[in-house]
Amino acid sequence: MTMAGDAQQRVEAYLGTLRQLLRGMNAEDACEIVEELRSHLLDRVAASGEATNAGVDAALAALGSPEELAKEYMTQNLLARAEASRSPVRILESLFRWASLSAAGFFVLVGSMMGYFLGTVFILVAALKPFHPQTAGLWLLRDSTGDPEISLRLGFGSVPGAGRDVLGWWIVPIGLLAGCAVVMLTTRVALWCARQYRRSHLLPRS
Amino acid sequence: MPRLEREGLSVDNMILCNTLYGGMKGRDASDQETADKWEVQLRKGCLELAILAALWDGKLYGLEILRRLKSDSDLIVSEGTIYPLLSRLKALGLVRSEWVESDAGHPRKYYALTPAGKQRSREMAGIWSRFSSGMSRLLAPLAKEK
Repeated sequence: MTMAGDAQQRVEAYLGTLRQLLRGMNAEDACEIVEELRSHLLDRVAASGEATNAGVDAALAALGSPEELAKEYMTQNLLARAEASRSPVRILESLFRWASLSAAGFFVLVGSMMGYFLGTVFILVAALKPFHPQTAGLWLLRDSTGDPEISLRLGFGSVPGAGRDVLGWWIVPIGLLAGCAVVMLTTRVALWCARQYRRSHLLPRS
Repeated sequence: MPRLEREGLSVDNMILCNTLYGGMKGRDASDQETADKWEVQLRKGCLELAILAALWDGKLYGLEILRRLKSDSDLIVSEGTIYPLLSRLKALGLVRSEWVESDAGHPRKYYALTPAGKQRSREMAGIWSRFSSGMSRLLAPLAKEK
């Protein structure tokens, strides 16, 4: 199937714009999307029997603008891989991509980073307690104005002057449990937010 | 204005009527919009299952899936919707894809169900038939009325 030079140019211009818009994705995926759509356009124009400008324009119009199509790809793929693996690294990776798409993504990214950070600190404190038995733990301290403040301490440095280690050795099981729970909860909330966003932003065009 | 007052209408009333009428028109339009939105949501919810079901008998490429959906159901899907959805199903591990050379002179990207995709299709089909038979029972009185 060959197209007139002008028709071919229109297809390449469309695909070129799309490729530009998909640059947030990994290069291999973007390349595959472009190749698939090229194949689709060739088939569709051949089926309509008119490899003319009008036939090509109709085929391009049926796909929607490159902007709409790119947004649909990005939103559909949002967290799909992360959802399949559920690993925090994958989720953060996808959230960075989402944050580049919308403000909603940015807030979810910030929230998730805070969640993963808190979870990691709980687990670290539990893991370091045997090495710093005097200093690591959940401490209730007095700050300079005398107000109580809670502090998760990894135990590097000296024993805090005014304050007490609230949990003692209980920090080991409690820290591990709380850390895992916070990490899992963060994952769930992030995936839930992505699903809500996908649902509200993807109305089929017909 | 004087003529209006003779007929017992004041301008104030007219404005009120207009506002009411406008409001009613607005409500009708939004009812229609709600119904359309509902249908869109309904179709959207079925699309994933429809694609998985179209692939049940074997591998197809994008345009073939579109044609299958058009001929076997009246699910009219825009072409710009199906390709991103296919890429999502692939990322979720429900379908896999391969490039196959064709007589047309260019390769085509074929999709096929993975074992996980087959499992998911069966589950969704089960949920669908329970749901639709329940809805049909519930809707039976409406069908009789016609």
